[in-house]
Amino acid sequence: MVIFKDIKKFKHKGSFEGWAKRVTVNVALQKFRKKSSIRFDDLEESKIPEEKVFIDIEEKDISLNFLLSLIHKLPPQYQLIFNLYVLDEYSHKEISEILDISIGTSKSNLSRARQLLKKEINTMKKLQL
Amino acid sequence: MSKDIDKLFKDKFKESKTTAPTEAWPVIQAKLKMRRINRLIYTFSVLGFLGLISFMLFSTQTEKTLSKPLQKNTSLKNEVILKGKGVNDVNDVNDVNDVNDVNVNKDKLPVSKPQEDSKKLYATITTEKESKNNMPLEKNSFFEEKFKDTVIEKQVKRIDSLVNSLDHLVDHLKDDLKKEKKKLIKKKDSIDVVNFNKEKRRRWNVIPVFGISNSGRLSDNVTTLGTTRAVTYPDKYFDDNKSSGLIASTYGFNVVFRATNRISIQTGIFSKELRFLTEGLFLSEFIPDVNPTNIIYNPGVEVRFSNTPDIVSSESVSLSQSIVYMEMPFELKYRMFGSSKFNTNLIGGFSFLYLNKNEIRAKSNLLSREIGKASNVLTTSTTLNIGLDVEYHLSNRWVLNSAVMYKKHYNTYEDYNNEYSPYNVGMHVGIGYKF
Repeated sequence: MVIFKDIKKFKHKGSFEGWAKRVTVNVALQKFRKKSSIRFDDLEESKIPEEKVFIDIEEKDISLNFLLSLIHKLPPQYQLIFNLYVLDEYSHKEISEILDISIGTSKSNLSRARQLLKKEINTMKKLQL
Repeated sequence: MSKDIDKLFKDKFKESKTTAPTEAWPVIQAKLKMRRINRLIYTFSVLGFLGLISFMLFSTQTEKTLSKPLQKNTSLKNEVILKGKGVNDVNDVNDVNDVNDVNVNKDKLPVSKPQEDSKKLYATITTEKESKNNMPLEKNSFFEEKFKDTVIEKQVKRIDSLVNSLDHLVDHLKDDLKKEKKKLIKKKDSIDVVNFNKEKRRRWNVIPVFGISNSGRLSDNVTTLGTTRAVTYPDKYFDDNKSSGLIASTYGFNVVFRATNRISIQTGIFSKELRFLTEGLFLSEFIPDVNPTNIIYNPGVEVRFSNTPDIVSSESVSLSQSIVYMEMPFELKYRMFGSSKFNTNLIGGFSFLYLNKNEIRAKSNLLSREIGKASNVLTTSTTLNIGLDVEYHLSNRWVLNSAVMYKKHYNTYEDYNNEYSPYNVGMHVGIGYKF
């Protein structure tokens, strides 16, 4: 809706696709900022676990809807950073600038998000067994 | 098989991701470019239109400033006058007050022509700020002035249309009233006819009349055989002497027969006198060589007159000539307008005159004596009569009558043709009895 509404603001610099993506993200961030209750978890740099989180599962055994439901179940701060980093491919530096948080906070919240997702996926896997 | 959780999510989303056809984006971009061009055209059109309007307003303002330089500082006390007091009740006029800072005196609204009114109205409307602070209009912003001008012009047009509407309304009312008046006149005529028929038994009216008249001549001088002289009475011998008419009395009675509702015939018998005075004569002890040929002296009258003073006697005298006729008029009276009580009639007709008395008297400071009569006055003559008659019906039987008459005499003298005949203007009054 916002894209159709603000299409007049498209300056024809760069592609329309990129502009549309930026608009979408900005709208999401505006909504996020309105929710002033969101608080990010600040962890010390030393306590931040390693970046990669692996899970033992077949990709075909898991559906997209299930993954979406998992993301929606995440606390908002984790959900937001996970989406920005993993799906929209922003760097921690960009996320920190957008959300006005530190890089460490971004990293720690992403790590917590991954852990929670892993835990949920494992639970689902056990239930299926 | 273990898998990076980030990759798991990325891959799953990529699988479900439906991408738009690659051709779609250039098409969308082209359409957006066209939209941008259209927007530019629209923007320039609007700017052009606004520029044109501004130019027109500026031109109008300049023209008004040139044509009405003195009216810019007209105070609020100047009035806007619309036709009729009833205009105050019309709501549209109140719209004038919708303009901020503009006041119009609604109590006095104009009577004059709509186009002139609008100019007058425009001239008499000033901004409140201007009148309060006595600040010139130029200090206000240009567009503010234009806006006010536009609004005022709209109000002026609205008032113009209102005035036009009222004019039309008044015209319609006038037409209606005229028609109504005609109807009433017809109705009144019919009522008069009915009354006339009712009063058929009282169509005759006898009016004893008394009046006065003054006689005069239509021409002061007449040229005969190359010499110019005054037309005098009673003799050519006194042509060079000063002569004038005198006020004389008239009495008699009129008999009026009401033939129709509007037309009456009147006749009667009058005693009518013409009096003239010839001055600047001198008594003469000697019989002059040239005697007045048109005076028939009474027996025993030895006195004679001269135009020049005598050597022995220089007593100045005047000759007073009195001609009394018995007059029988035949006149028509036409009722022009009036009511059951009051009528105004136009009179036209003629009179037969029969000479009843012909007398010349000599008058001085010491004596007044009849010396004879004029021999050149014809026994019968006529007059042409024109006059205006006013009747006031005192009751069913009695009527007060008054008339002003002009009568031109014909065949009065033997010696002069009718061009030099006398005339008289008189007024008489009388109370008549209807039967």
